[in-house]
Amino acid sequence: MSVLPSDEHRMIQSTVREFATRELLPIAADLDQNCRFPREALTRAADLGLMGMTVPEEYGGAGMDMMAYVLAQEELARACAGFQAIVGVNNSLVCEPILRWGSEEQKRRYLPDLAAGRRLGCYCLTEPTSGSDAMSLRTSAVHRDGQWHLSGTKIFVTSGAEADLCLVYARSEREPGARGISAFLVEKSFPGISVGKAEKKLGIRCTSTTEIVLDDCRVPEENLLGERGQGGRIALATLDGGRISVAAQAVGIARACLEEAAAYAQQRQQFGRPIGEFQAVRWTLADAATRLEAARLLTHRAADLRQRGLPCAREAAMAKVFASETAMWTAHKAVQIFGGYGYTQDYPLERYFRDAKITEIYEGTSEIQRLVIARNLLARS
Amino acid sequence: MPDILVVATAPLGTLSRSSLELVAGAHAIRGPLGLGVTGLLLGTGPGLATAPQALHEHGVARVLRVDHPLLTVGESDAYLRALEQVARRENPEIILVSADTMGRDLAVRLAWRLGAALVTECSDLASADGAVVASRQVYGGRAVATLAVTRRPAVLSLKPRSLDAPAPDPVAGSVEDLSVELQQGELSSRVREVLREQSDVGLEDAQVVIGGGRGMGGPEGFAQLGELASVLGGAVGASRPPADSGWVPLTWQVGQTGKTIRPALYMAVGISGATQHVAGVSGSRLIVAINRDAEAPIFSVAHLGIVADYKEIVPALVAKIREMRGQ
Amino acid sequence: MNVVVCLKQVVDPELPAKDFAMDPGTQRQVREGRPLVISTYDENALEVALQLKDASGAGVKVLTLGAQAAVGDAIRLALAMGADEAVVVDDALAPERAGAEKARMLAAAIRRMGSVDLILTGCESADWVERVVAPLLAEDLGVACVTFVSRIESRDGAPVVRRMVEDGHHLVEVRLPAVLSITSDESNRPRLPKVKDIMAAKRKPVQTWAPADLVLTATSDPASGVEVRQVVVPERTSRCEFLTGEPPELVEALVQRLRDQKLL
Repeated sequence: MSVLPSDEHRMIQSTVREFATRELLPIAADLDQNCRFPREALTRAADLGLMGMTVPEEYGGAGMDMMAYVLAQEELARACAGFQAIVGVNNSLVCEPILRWGSEEQKRRYLPDLAAGRRLGCYCLTEPTSGSDAMSLRTSAVHRDGQWHLSGTKIFVTSGAEADLCLVYARSEREPGARGISAFLVEKSFPGISVGKAEKKLGIRCTSTTEIVLDDCRVPEENLLGERGQGGRIALATLDGGRISVAAQAVGIARACLEEAAAYAQQRQQFGRPIGEFQAVRWTLADAATRLEAARLLTHRAADLRQRGLPCAREAAMAKVFASETAMWTAHKAVQIFGGYGYTQDYPLERYFRDAKITEIYEGTSEIQRLVIARNLLARS
Repeated sequence: MPDILVVATAPLGTLSRSSLELVAGAHAIRGPLGLGVTGLLLGTGPGLATAPQALHEHGVARVLRVDHPLLTVGESDAYLRALEQVARRENPEIILVSADTMGRDLAVRLAWRLGAALVTECSDLASADGAVVASRQVYGGRAVATLAVTRRPAVLSLKPRSLDAPAPDPVAGSVEDLSVELQQGELSSRVREVLREQSDVGLEDAQVVIGGGRGMGGPEGFAQLGELASVLGGAVGASRPPADSGWVPLTWQVGQTGKTIRPALYMAVGISGATQHVAGVSGSRLIVAINRDAEAPIFSVAHLGIVADYKEIVPALVAKIREMRGQ
Repeated sequence: MNVVVCLKQVVDPELPAKDFAMDPGTQRQVREGRPLVISTYDENALEVALQLKDASGAGVKVLTLGAQAAVGDAIRLALAMGADEAVVVDDALAPERAGAEKARMLAAAIRRMGSVDLILTGCESADWVERVVAPLLAEDLGVACVTFVSRIESRDGAPVVRRMVEDGHHLVEVRLPAVLSITSDESNRPRLPKVKDIMAAKRKPVQTWAPADLVLTATSDPASGVEVRQVVVPERTSRCEFLTGEPPELVEALVQRLRDQKLL
């Protein structure tokens, strides 16, 4: 695997960095403080091709490879983790599964709209009684009168309020566990789907995180994604890609913390000198930089494997758990370097600190990631 | 005697300051090069009647004057043609033009037409061994290039506000009126409208300038700077990013591309100090920089530095000054 | 309408001071290992050209002078932003040439391109800042010239441009073909390339010409008789006095200094 990005990758990275600098940095604090959905910025991101990054051009996407994708995600997250979450869900959790598992007709029907920003996607897997134990979900899907009837409640759906297209997992077969689940593409306009409670969150506050309530929601047959009973497989394969996206998000957050802390350490003077001259601070920054580099490389490795179509569940889990824990650690240390100022809203550190936490939780908690890694490790030996 | 031709203008009837700066440049090199100095006034209207006087008062005895109705404000192509005709008749050794918005392209195009050597945007003029030696700032002001011009004729354009105005040196002078051939139909460009932007204190003349940069965060921050400028009797300027973003009018821009200023006090607020901005302000007597980033390049040219958020300093400074004045 | 935009690739003018170094041999900035970007105002010029393309379907070509290997990124970016094709005059000596020499080569290249209505350049280059290229191009090509244009406005069909001056701006009607040098304005902020265009840029035509392919004008040579004697980086002793303390103390100290300097 080449660790050096190609010319094209560099150009994409610098374009997204410029976009993030112009469009996201100036508004990130306000989006967080007022829980404002970044509608205008998303439109501009869609214009650039960022809403369907890995969708092939024939379906209106940007046709990027996974390396370019994670580079772009890191740039977005560095500026605004919440914005990147919205983009990441649309790309990895909605466009990707349609691309891999959808019929030609489904791809043509939904991908161009998702890539162009005309539709926004959301992912409905988690339920009140099934989080980590996702495959025990209970939302039911009954095939009757030539259509599907979905009933159940999904929670913690990112972009639940604003999304038009929901990828919903429901139990359609008798079998318990993964094999009984099917995946459905549910448009908000279908009868019987509504947005429920919106969570007030610790971080990524520009995103909406809501319940999606399905009450005999009627879904046409042609909106089944993949085969009946294939939903479990789809969910797990999709999460691999999602994990890489979250790893990139965590790398972006960690980088933001490190950049701010390093700049501050050179500027803030105490006891007659910049605090960056004190060993305690130096060592912390060195550790942060090292961990960041490692997290990024793990993320790139997972992306590279996925791009080549090789199995990447283990590497994606490693990247996600390591990068998210790096983000938390770095945010914690960065706030400390800023001291009292880091605790105030005048500086972005407290937002990074609050944003970082979610990366250890969603799309598979760190505990689940460790399970995946261990299972993979022990199965091989 | 072979001559240095100084191209002067007198908008609004008085000889422009940049024209006087050219005169200073001419005087600096005339002696060693054994050249005379002739002033050339171009324009139109009654203002041209009195302008030669100012040249006589600064040691320029021989003044040529071209008064033509097509030589109105901004009419570059007409000025170029007029200048070319005079230059071909007079055959000066050296032609000095001010590198203001009109002079910038005039000097270049004239040099081409006359087959002359050309140095633009000079910040200083000297001579050595019969050659004109010009200095100019390069790389956003990080370096200074020295160029020697050994060929004649030579056209040189001088950056406004680089040289001091010359000391008064009244001489008995003459004014010769010249005629030029100009046809409106021949002009390749014509000014349709002149739009002036309002400004209370001229940025280039202000003794105190408060400059705002990207660190101001938006147009609102400039209101605070306006208050500070007001209590100090100065003007507000800006570096390029605020001008480009439309936070302030383009005419507020100070820097290599905008205006070069040399006030007694320049305060750079939220300005990183990268490259070209610094080139426009480095001649200021006292430069005070306020920036949150201690590594900002502005601190390498500032005399006084404050590493802080401007919001914590500027309003308090305004209040303190008002308090001192018992307002 | 056919538009040509002249682009120059320079060392990033926002380079930190510690990375700036002069090469005494070439008397130019050391480029090796430094990030290269499209000269600031050239990007604005390109944006103006692309807006003409968006509005009226003008064809946009970009032209650059420089070593083929060095200018690849700049050309790629310009094509990704929307230019239709590029011409590179493969000239490794370009960074050392005087502006007037380069203008002559550019004019020769433009003559070789066939019918051109508008030539756009940045108002000044970010490095050597001579501001000669646009007016010299105009003279060499025998066309009209307006410098420091912030935007192109059409008035009843005739091309009218807004030219920035010290105290405002002029609206200038210009006869085509013309050379315009462009200054930055809120209306010409360079666009970001779409990701798919970054990839499609690879497929757009790039012609490479050798300097020997160009027929240069013999008549005028403003650079002859002008010699660079030296380029000096002035010693910058860190003479900035940093005031210390909390904001109220800083304000006090500043006021005191201003009084000392008789500015208050």
